[in-house]
Amino acid sequence: MNYSTEFKAIPFESLTQEVGERKAQGWRYVQTLAVNCDPGIDLIYSFMNMETGLLENLKVEKLEKGTHAPSISDLYLEAFVWENEIHDLFGINFDGIAIDFHGAFYALSTPEPMTVISPAQKEAKEKAAKIAAAKAAKEAKAKGESAPAAADDMEAKLAGMDPEKAAKVRAAMEAKAKKEKAAAEAAEAAALEEKLAGMDPEKAAKVRAAMEAKAKKAAAKKEEN
Amino acid sequence: MGKATVIPFGPQHPVLPEPLHLDLVVEDEKVIEAIPQIGFVHRGLEKLVETKDYNQFIYVAERICGICAMGHSLGYAETVEALMGVEAPKRAQYLRVIWHELSRIHSHILWLGLAADAFGFESMFMHCWRLRERVLTLFEKTTGGRVILSVVCVGGVVRDIDDAQMADVLSVLEGITDEYTQIMNTLISDYSVKNRTVGVGYLSHEEAIALSMVGPFARASNVNYDVRNFGRGAYGDLSDFQPITATDGDCYGRVVVRCKEVLQSIDIIKELAAKIPAGDIAVPVKGSPADGAEACNVLEQPRGECYYYARGNGTKYLDRMRMRTPTSQNIAGMVKALEGCDFADVNMIVLTIDPCISCTER
Repeated sequence: MNYSTEFKAIPFESLTQEVGERKAQGWRYVQTLAVNCDPGIDLIYSFMNMETGLLENLKVEKLEKGTHAPSISDLYLEAFVWENEIHDLFGINFDGIAIDFHGAFYALSTPEPMTVISPAQKEAKEKAAKIAAAKAAKEAKAKGESAPAAADDMEAKLAGMDPEKAAKVRAAMEAKAKKEKAAAEAAEAAALEEKLAGMDPEKAAKVRAAMEAKAKKAAAKKEEN
Repeated sequence: MGKATVIPFGPQHPVLPEPLHLDLVVEDEKVIEAIPQIGFVHRGLEKLVETKDYNQFIYVAERICGICAMGHSLGYAETVEALMGVEAPKRAQYLRVIWHELSRIHSHILWLGLAADAFGFESMFMHCWRLRERVLTLFEKTTGGRVILSVVCVGGVVRDIDDAQMADVLSVLEGITDEYTQIMNTLISDYSVKNRTVGVGYLSHEEAIALSMVGPFARASNVNYDVRNFGRGAYGDLSDFQPITATDGDCYGRVVVRCKEVLQSIDIIKELAAKIPAGDIAVPVKGSPADGAEACNVLEQPRGECYYYARGNGTKYLDRMRMRTPTSQNIAGMVKALEGCDFADVNMIVLTIDPCISCTER
């Protein structure tokens, strides 16, 4: 047999069926492990096909801590070791474990210690997220800089068109821009209203008064100009 | 019918190399049920992968267990290499296997001494550990360490074995072979040893398959599975490799399988030493595993198949590193083998699965 590996995501609901199929087909059970994805916990069940040498890893993704999962120790007794371990370290409950230690498999001072990531890991993840965000912002800025170039192309196209048609196109573009601006302003106003609704009423009233004063001042300045 | 009594076995017991507790439900000297309990040496080593980068963690991995140190560093390195798409040079693969097979020799001889001591054959225990010292001296000469070798790195190995050292290795193994063969034959043909092991702790082939047992524990029940048979790395260049199996299924079969595996490992080292190619011993590994990348790996440790899993998150710290060790897989088989045995045979059965509880708990 030739060794090969495979990772396959399966729905949580089909876990018992998938394991049962492998048992019926004579696959060897290798292990069960959990990964803290923060948020959510992945479970990975590994089986080996003893005829082909395929090591298949079935992933059940993003379970919440405290989820009740079915035990497979009725099919594979040796799974009781991993199910007890995952319960103690990750907080996933397995119903019907053949030998259940009820949380006392390992003597731990901290409950479910593998669900809290270390400060070093947190810092590294935040740094990676910042780098990714900076990269995305840079790409967005590069796209924005190419917009004036696109506008120049548009002007060149309109200059080459029939003047009546060009006027109609310009009017349509202005209407579209106005509509988009109005929609953006409405969305901003809706978000602001939602924020104010969630605030302390006195504070919200003060914020509204300050905004009205600002708007009056801006209007007055506009009139002067 | 007698009254059932629960007798505690371990975690401190003269026969146990590492702490394991068994609640033995006994009726008239017969064990009805054995309930294991572990957790005495749980150190949370897998959690340390969050604070040690993937190069530093190899020093943690090899400290999971003193006997399987080389195996864990090798399995971990191979898994991270699979995660990052790196292949160690050919010479490094050969060197890794040579050290790993030496590790298997020292592990099996250590176990043989403990097994002999378990049934009172103390002089045999002394002889075995004296032989084992020669292997530890080889480790010290070639790597600088007797137990924790620190010779594997992600991308290859950190030291080479030159021609003079390789000749020394082969010469020492030649000397070990003669003495070891005498010890082995004395042990497996001795009437008292057979009296304590034949028919004891029997597990059939079907039971071994159903309980997904691994390693010599399973091969003694005629389960023909050995990860080395996949022919990966330097194992693929062996002219003929066949797993050593026995049909006895009892403690005697397990003793015989481990005894013969020592000689097989010596032959593997001799063959690879003759074929080892020249070249680099490591490739530079830069960067970090991609976010969401995952890889798994299996390795035949002295106690059986060990499964490794790694997941990256785009940083130098892995999201998860997991080792499923062979003893933890064999606990269910041990519990099954203890059912119905005599109370006096418990220590023999527990010892013949070659328990490595440090590996089990991490």
